[in-house]
Amino acid sequence: MGLFDAIEIAGSGMNAESISMDVTSENLANAQSTTSASGQPYQRQVVQLEETGSNGFGAALASAMTGSNSGSGPVAGGVQVAGIANDTTPDQLVYDPGNPSANKQGYVKMPNVSTVTEMVDLIDESNSYQSDVTAMQTAKDMFTAGLGILK
Amino acid sequence: MRGAEMRQTLLTSDLANADTPNFEPTDVDFQAQLASAIGQGTPPSQVTFQASTDPQTTNTDGNGVDPSQTSADLAQNGLLYDALAQVVSSNDQTLQYAMETQ
Repeated sequence: MGLFDAIEIAGSGMNAESISMDVTSENLANAQSTTSASGQPYQRQVVQLEETGSNGFGAALASAMTGSNSGSGPVAGGVQVAGIANDTTPDQLVYDPGNPSANKQGYVKMPNVSTVTEMVDLIDESNSYQSDVTAMQTAKDMFTAGLGILK
Repeated sequence: MRGAEMRQTLLTSDLANADTPNFEPTDVDFQAQLASAIGQGTPPSQVTFQASTDPQTTNTDGNGVDPSQTSADLAQNGLLYDALAQVVSSNDQTLQYAMETQ
């Protein structure tokens, strides 16, 4: 466990948040897509995040190499994208008889994307990204201070 | 400095996992552990810091990370580390000065 781990973990957070932002942007861009590759309306995508390192190879190696001086207890892990899944919320039915995708009653199946939810998610992801950047910056400053002892 | 370094890694992990469902934040109170070890006569260099999880959940998805609190702790911990580094550095300078005056 060292400061490089902190930098790496903050990096994993930035990576996960930028993937989440990509997916949120995709949802926003497709908020009006009535047909997708499957012929059905676009389905909202959700990113599933999971913690890494707590039961992986790195953690096992770290615990095996633990000397008497290193810390013990739970190991700090980064974050990774476990998968991108479809949101199974039903599609919204919108009355729009002029639309080519409308059914006999004049209703169009619109994607289950709420622009408001996506905008809030986007702000949330942006804030998380920024806090990861700050954490990385602090770890970098600490490292520099540590190196400064040698001066 | 070892304790502050460990805490930095744990807090960074908490922040990175601020959106992970069912994640329990980890932290280490190295100052209290160091103080109690010194009280028991253990040399500071032999102290093993024990990290712990905080099982309290604040969000609906079972995640217990408070991003603002964690960010504040992170900034404070960074400053503490800088201060400790300066103490080591000034100790070094005193020694160097003593050697130079010989």
